[in-house]
Amino acid sequence: MASSSTLKNESSSSTEEMNLSTLARATSLSTGLALRTLHRSITCKPISCSSTLYSLTSINPKTPLFLRSPDFTATLSDFQKWQNWAKTLALSVNSSFKDSDNGPDSEILLRELSWLIEDALENPQSLSTGSQVEVLRLRADLGDLYTLWKQRIEIRRPFQYIVGCEHWRDLVLSVEEGVLIPRPETELIIDLVCDVINQNVDLKGGLWVDLGTGSAAIAIGIGRILGDTGRVIATDLSPIAVQVAEFNVKRGVYLGENRRPWAVQLIRAVSGDSVTCEHDAVVEPAKISGEGDNSKDGSKDDELKVSCLYPTFQLKYFDKDKIAVKQGSWFDPLTEFQGQVAGIVSNPPYIPSGHINGLQAEVGRHEPILALDGGENGMSELLHLCNGAAFMLKPGGFFAFETNGEDQCRFLVDHMESVYRNSFYDLRIVPDFAGIRRFVTGNRT
Amino acid sequence: MSSMLGRAYRRSCSVLSRYQSISTLFQPPSDPQSTDKQQVHVSGFQFLSKNAHGFSSVSNKRLNFSCGSSLINTRVSFSTLAAVEPSTSDGLTVDAIVAKQWAILDESEGDWKSHASAIAQSIRLIKKRLQWEKLKVRLEMLSIQMEKPDLWDDPVLAGKISREHGSLMGKMKQVNGLEQELIDHIDMIKLAHEEDDPDLESESVKALLRMRQSVKEKELEALLAGEHDSCSCYIEVQAGAGGTESMDWAGMVMQMYKMWAQRHGYGVTIVDEMCGEIAGIKRATLRVDGEYAYGYAKAEVGAHRLVRISPFDSAKRRHTSFAAVAVTPILGDGSHHVQINESDLRIERYRSGGAGGQHANVTDSAVRITHIPTGITAACQNERSQHQNKASAMAVLQSRLDQREMARQAQINAHYTQSLTDNSWGNQIRSYVLHPYRMVKDLRTNFEVSDPDSVLEGEIDDFILSFLTNSMDKENEA
Ligand SMILES: C[S@@+](CC[C@H](N)C(=O)[O-])C[C@H]1O[C@@H](n2cnc3c(N)ncnc32)[C@H](O)[C@@H]1O
Repeated sequence: MASSSTLKNESSSSTEEMNLSTLARATSLSTGLALRTLHRSITCKPISCSSTLYSLTSINPKTPLFLRSPDFTATLSDFQKWQNWAKTLALSVNSSFKDSDNGPDSEILLRELSWLIEDALENPQSLSTGSQVEVLRLRADLGDLYTLWKQRIEIRRPFQYIVGCEHWRDLVLSVEEGVLIPRPETELIIDLVCDVINQNVDLKGGLWVDLGTGSAAIAIGIGRILGDTGRVIATDLSPIAVQVAEFNVKRGVYLGENRRPWAVQLIRAVSGDSVTCEHDAVVEPAKISGEGDNSKDGSKDDELKVSCLYPTFQLKYFDKDKIAVKQGSWFDPLTEFQGQVAGIVSNPPYIPSGHINGLQAEVGRHEPILALDGGENGMSELLHLCNGAAFMLKPGGFFAFETNGEDQCRFLVDHMESVYRNSFYDLRIVPDFAGIRRFVTGNRT
Repeated sequence: MSSMLGRAYRRSCSVLSRYQSISTLFQPPSDPQSTDKQQVHVSGFQFLSKNAHGFSSVSNKRLNFSCGSSLINTRVSFSTLAAVEPSTSDGLTVDAIVAKQWAILDESEGDWKSHASAIAQSIRLIKKRLQWEKLKVRLEMLSIQMEKPDLWDDPVLAGKISREHGSLMGKMKQVNGLEQELIDHIDMIKLAHEEDDPDLESESVKALLRMRQSVKEKELEALLAGEHDSCSCYIEVQAGAGGTESMDWAGMVMQMYKMWAQRHGYGVTIVDEMCGEIAGIKRATLRVDGEYAYGYAKAEVGAHRLVRISPFDSAKRRHTSFAAVAVTPILGDGSHHVQINESDLRIERYRSGGAGGQHANVTDSAVRITHIPTGITAACQNERSQHQNKASAMAVLQSRLDQREMARQAQINAHYTQSLTDNSWGNQIRSYVLHPYRMVKDLRTNFEVSDPDSVLEGEIDDFILSFLTNSMDKENEA
């Protein structure tokens, strides 16, 4: 885990400014090619990347927009001017992105715009209730909002990088360039694991590993459903992914009861510390836990009670001791656990190299290639993981891998049945909600 | 009244009404929900031991007067017990006050008889709105069930019964309390008068006036005394036939409810929305979170008609469009009427194309859930994760299935019929005319206003209240 110092000052405004200026530079530089080479260079020589765009952000993962303090203001009319401009820009897209590479159409972009507003305003309700406030408090400078939305439309920068977070299951995960934005399909892995551990107490209390964890989405999702003795080790080769994963494990929040994080008062259930703020501003969860809280009380899963406009909902810290993040290639950091692992899950890169060029712009131009490229037929990493599963899992242990679809699923199952005859049982192919055969699961004999 | 109810009623009348008043009286006021049978027993004993001290209700009353109002509560207990109907020392009951028809003057004119008369009228109205006689029968039936030794063999049913029992008991207690309060004030005023204590007298008249004001609010609350009225709800708006013109109208209706909900301080979320190609919406589901959202919104169920010069018609002709509105309550956990079986569900991602997975960056994770046995579906696409979309769609589905089941039960249990919640999308309830004249008129109550703009901006409370008053008061006349 990172030392607490990496977490302390990430919300200081100087860092924020730095990020924005780097960001602006990136914009002017970024052709798809340039970015891709950049990601490649990270893959090959992780140490030399200190001079690249992402090194700055990788030292201090950015606080997602909605958790930043509302230090900026704009008059209602200036804000509405921005809003109208952004709307027009979104509408001008029509279905052109959709037609060219299955990208978002205007309707989706408009919804993203409303989410951007929700994240950027201190009090998003004030716009709709018609309470004629003159001045709005913002979490980003209005000028930056212009830049950000322009990036969204003109260079197809993914919405999740713009707001610095992705809502995934009931988690709000910090994401930024260099880390794959977790996909909705992948949410189902947690449901699969949930079914398994509910039937098997032994697995529920065992050691789970999430290989190629990225933002730590799967690792956190599993960490939250394991029993008391259960824990998760998440690994990734990418140093940025490791940083962001650690950030999410330590600082991430999840939403209860389907509510947005507009809070008035946050109370830690165990210590009773609380912070109240005006109106329905969001308190940064860090503020409530005091300076360098990482080891202060060692309290587990300390619950934050939040009173807000809506019926009470809760923001929770994850039990940070339950999830460890390690840097390294696949099973390398895990050799000591050979034959002891209760469960292996992974969403490894699985796109065939030949498809990379034709990807949707948001993906191909902005997401790290290390997270996407699965070799010639997309199976190199998956096969490696299958082989690893055979020697890492303990008897009865469970695995679930995400794949590119039916062909890869079939291939994997065939491989396991032929090469590892009698090593696995209960091999299954599970479809996602769109009906695509997406996951292969099974147990170690 | 069904024959079963009738039997229950006859069998229990004498014993139970005693029991009830006992438990009503001694229940801790803070928690109307927790009326389990144990409490009833305990309070029964409490009563016995208190009674054993030998106060007669009359002597107790005297005691009260000399001690001021702090003992009123104790006395309420005894007198309600002794005689079900509270009356003043000279035998005046609430009904008798109504019958006297004392002139009701303005609040500012300090005549106590006027206040008393106004309060008595209000109490009568509240009782009527609460369907007092039916409520008593229902409560007795529930009390019998609560007494059954095997009640908790079915904890779900038991929970339901005890919740409803608690809630009806709360209402009963509240009204009894009001009656007693009125009687006490009158007694106090008379006593002060007899004893020639003008300070006390004017103090008591003031207290009576305060009661007059607060009881007026309770009249309104009594309009929303239905089992689910206090729930949050979904409002669903669907465009009628007629293409863009109707979709535009449906969009306006949706907007009207959004603004109405915001005025009330309710939380508003669009759960599911299907936009029209050119304007408005084909359909949309709005989630309204807050106390009594369902109680009010249920008055909006039905077809809403618009007459105007269509902005979409180049020939500037007059068009009539319809939008249908349905409202379903969001029942709290544990009070659902239907248990959804996971295996009965088909869950689909829609509007997704292509290879998905790592290939696609999406912010749209729309989910549609179909309940296969009934064919009822629910969709959600406005949440930011698929998981949340699924959870939202599940909640809508649950609400629709609950509603369906309630409607089915309502047909079986005649006493439970709530004509208000009938989800017949067919009947036209309100007409909004923008041309050739300007008016909004409710076809059920004939209530009308001449300013459609304010109505479309969400000022629909008057329509709702007039409808609720109207239908409540009509229904209870039977
Ligand atoms: C498709 S992403 C999945 C990220 C995350 N698990 C999720 O589902 O959102 C694949 C991840 O594998 C990581 N990765 C690629 N090659 C790796 C290797 N050799 N060892 C460990 N991780 C690797 C990438 O950095 C990336 O984070």
